[in-house]
Amino acid sequence: MENQNLLQRFFSASKRKKIKEYLTAYLFIAPATILIFVFGIFPVGFALFVSLHKWRIKRTALIGLENYVDAIGNLAYVAVFLLGVGALVGIYFLIKKIIELTKQHGDRPWISIVPGFLNAVTAFSFLNWFFKLLPEVLDIADKLRGLEKTREVFLTLLRQAFSAETVVPAWRVFLWTLLAGILVGGIVLFLWKNKRNLLYQSYFALVFLALGIAVGLLLYLKKQVSLAYAEAFANNADPGIWPQFITITSGVILLILAWWLWRRASKPRSGWAFWAHVVSALFLLVGGWLLIGEIPTIVASGDKDLWSGLKVTVFFALGTVPVQLTLALFLAILLFQKMRGSNVFRIIYFIPYVTPAIASAAIFKQMFSNRHSAPVNMLLQTLGLEPQQWLFEPQGVNTIIGQFFGWNLPEWAGGPSLALCVVILHSIWTYVGYDIVIYMAGLGNITKELIDAAQSDGANKWQIFRYITFPLLSPTTYFLSLVSIIGTFKAFNTIWIFRDALALGTTDAFSVTIFIEFFEKLRYGYASAMAFVLFAIILGLTFINNKIQGSKVFYG
Amino acid sequence: MAEKSKNAFHFTYTTSNKLFSYLILGIGAFLALIPFIWMVSTSLKSLGEALGTAFFPSELHWENYAEAWRKALFSEYFLNSLLITSITLVGEITFSVLAAYAFARIKFPGRDLIFTIMLSTIMIPAMVFIIPNFLTVTWLGRIGPIPWINNWPALTIPFMGSIFSIFLLKQFFSQIPDELFDAAQMDGAGHLRFLWKVVLPLSKAPLMVILVLSFIGTWNSLAWPMLVTNTPDWRPISVGLMNFVNEAGQEINLTMAGAFITIIPILIIYFFTQKQFTESISRSGLKG
Repeated sequence: MENQNLLQRFFSASKRKKIKEYLTAYLFIAPATILIFVFGIFPVGFALFVSLHKWRIKRTALIGLENYVDAIGNLAYVAVFLLGVGALVGIYFLIKKIIELTKQHGDRPWISIVPGFLNAVTAFSFLNWFFKLLPEVLDIADKLRGLEKTREVFLTLLRQAFSAETVVPAWRVFLWTLLAGILVGGIVLFLWKNKRNLLYQSYFALVFLALGIAVGLLLYLKKQVSLAYAEAFANNADPGIWPQFITITSGVILLILAWWLWRRASKPRSGWAFWAHVVSALFLLVGGWLLIGEIPTIVASGDKDLWSGLKVTVFFALGTVPVQLTLALFLAILLFQKMRGSNVFRIIYFIPYVTPAIASAAIFKQMFSNRHSAPVNMLLQTLGLEPQQWLFEPQGVNTIIGQFFGWNLPEWAGGPSLALCVVILHSIWTYVGYDIVIYMAGLGNITKELIDAAQSDGANKWQIFRYITFPLLSPTTYFLSLVSIIGTFKAFNTIWIFRDALALGTTDAFSVTIFIEFFEKLRYGYASAMAFVLFAIILGLTFINNKIQGSKVFYG
Repeated sequence: MAEKSKNAFHFTYTTSNKLFSYLILGIGAFLALIPFIWMVSTSLKSLGEALGTAFFPSELHWENYAEAWRKALFSEYFLNSLLITSITLVGEITFSVLAAYAFARIKFPGRDLIFTIMLSTIMIPAMVFIIPNFLTVTWLGRIGPIPWINNWPALTIPFMGSIFSIFLLKQFFSQIPDELFDAAQMDGAGHLRFLWKVVLPLSKAPLMVILVLSFIGTWNSLAWPMLVTNTPDWRPISVGLMNFVNEAGQEINLTMAGAFITIIPILIIYFFTQKQFTESISRSGLKG
């Protein structure tokens, strides 16, 4: 009762109701949010932590970038460099944004720099404390071995972990900076009464965060590169990192410039559009050539398995996505007509997609078996062709076709292995139905009037498709190609069923390579580093796809 | 010619045109179904015939199914998969409904930020999660009262927080008109009561979609169960089938019977829900 009166004195009824509402909301989202945090957000940081260690089942030593250098060669250094530069570019845009805001409202927010700085420091000291604490907490499981698992023992060990020698100073720094941040932030809020004060504070905090990341990464990089040089000179070798830096960075800059110029020139009423297009095309060519020429040689000096995993994935994507989308678009247009039974066809086409991939892969594995009496080999024999090894065949498909005609193709022209072709076929078979459903949804959004108008203008079917249907479907095509390409980078289940030692790893796409490192070779740290490389590739693909295809997509 | 159709495409069809469409669609359907036809036919052959060249069995060996069921320990794996799926679903649906309701209908500080952070994890490939989550799960099992490895928690709890389900439900919940809530409030109903009495009965369709997608998800998952189970006790059907295919090897009549057994539950569910299923996929387009 007393409490209630106190509450009533301080908060009005509406405010109390609001607070109750907030609490309900937090309670509602708590279980899902906690689970997603523990198994979906924290693991990203944890994986990064693991990837910076030598870690085979157990954590042994902090080795920094070494796993990444093992995986992708000197490209690891270049990637860190580009990240650092990216953070600096981010600072530029943040400051631009802040200045815009001040001009718009005539604010003078410079006092907010102080709490912003303190908040950034707090964030760093929190991370520092957290990652010092993490190994101690992980070790609790080992310390518990042989002890009775009671709550008291666990709590004692937990307390020990929190008060470990390395953890306590980090905790103190975090605590003090946090307190200072809150205090100064409050004072600034009091001194400069403005409703955008907190916004400025967070922008400044972001600026200092980015600055800290950039400076930290670049300093660390400088140290590592000079170490690498010293080591290489001791062995009378030249690591050639600096030239690689220059080539790749200029390649990236040229690509960005090309994109920027192209976009400027595409705006209406720019008289210099033609020349801008020429110059940007030139930039694109040179930049692309620099990157395409340099990156493979650098990556090839890294891990061979990773390189072959990448190659397999690229073949996989090139083999599936275009075929799959063309087939699906064709069938979807046929199905979209007003005709009897189209619903039945749609249901049938969708069955492969819902079938558990493990079961359908088991079926394909037997159909494409190397037995001469297996169905596909039987078909070949009835056509008068030689039976093939299929899933057990590491040779490239072009090589095999070439042999049939008596040509001797060079190794680089071999193409995907025949084993991988079976995987590709299975993937096309599985996903065409899904693509059809999405395409049909896209077709359903095209208004009838457009088609009618075109028809009355005397357009034939092909013209309607070419100039109306296909452009209007471009968002769908864009979405499907992005999802499918990313899907090939994630593909795991079916390949795991299909893979056979005799195919010599020619079916092991990127995800499978990572899983083997982790599951069979037990190199946790290294596998995590590879997973981050995969993550970077997927992010890059999405970004490029957004920038290039996004501008051509017609969202009618 | 001038007939009004709902479709955008109402070309006039000559008979040959229609015939051509049916022919192409028929070939497509045949290619989509042939692996299944071959699977069923092989599963009914004797071993000798299965390795031979004939497409259809000369006599039907139904006992293959019983043998595959027994040899592959399918009864155990089936039960495991069912248990795993139901535990996951109960948790996932409860947590997702609560969270989606709060995100869709209650205004609270940090709502958009939390939702955006959670949504951004959809992009991250599973291989990034698999190693740290394996370490976390092992750790939790070793400090906690029950083991997580080779037990239900490792197989279910990490999948109970699903941003995909929350996203799907949130989209749906935000379309429910505010008037309904105001009326319920007049009657003195709080959030939980409104959720239970009004929102849930309206959301059968998205709940069904989540149910089916999660069912297929657990039925399909391979890498994670391989990691966290090393005895048959909690091994799901996917890993069971894989092991059976590897062990039974040349007895392809049995492996095909096993494959069919695994497919049947999914097929049944698909045929009963196919309309909502395709609709939801074409609307959300998120499941890749």
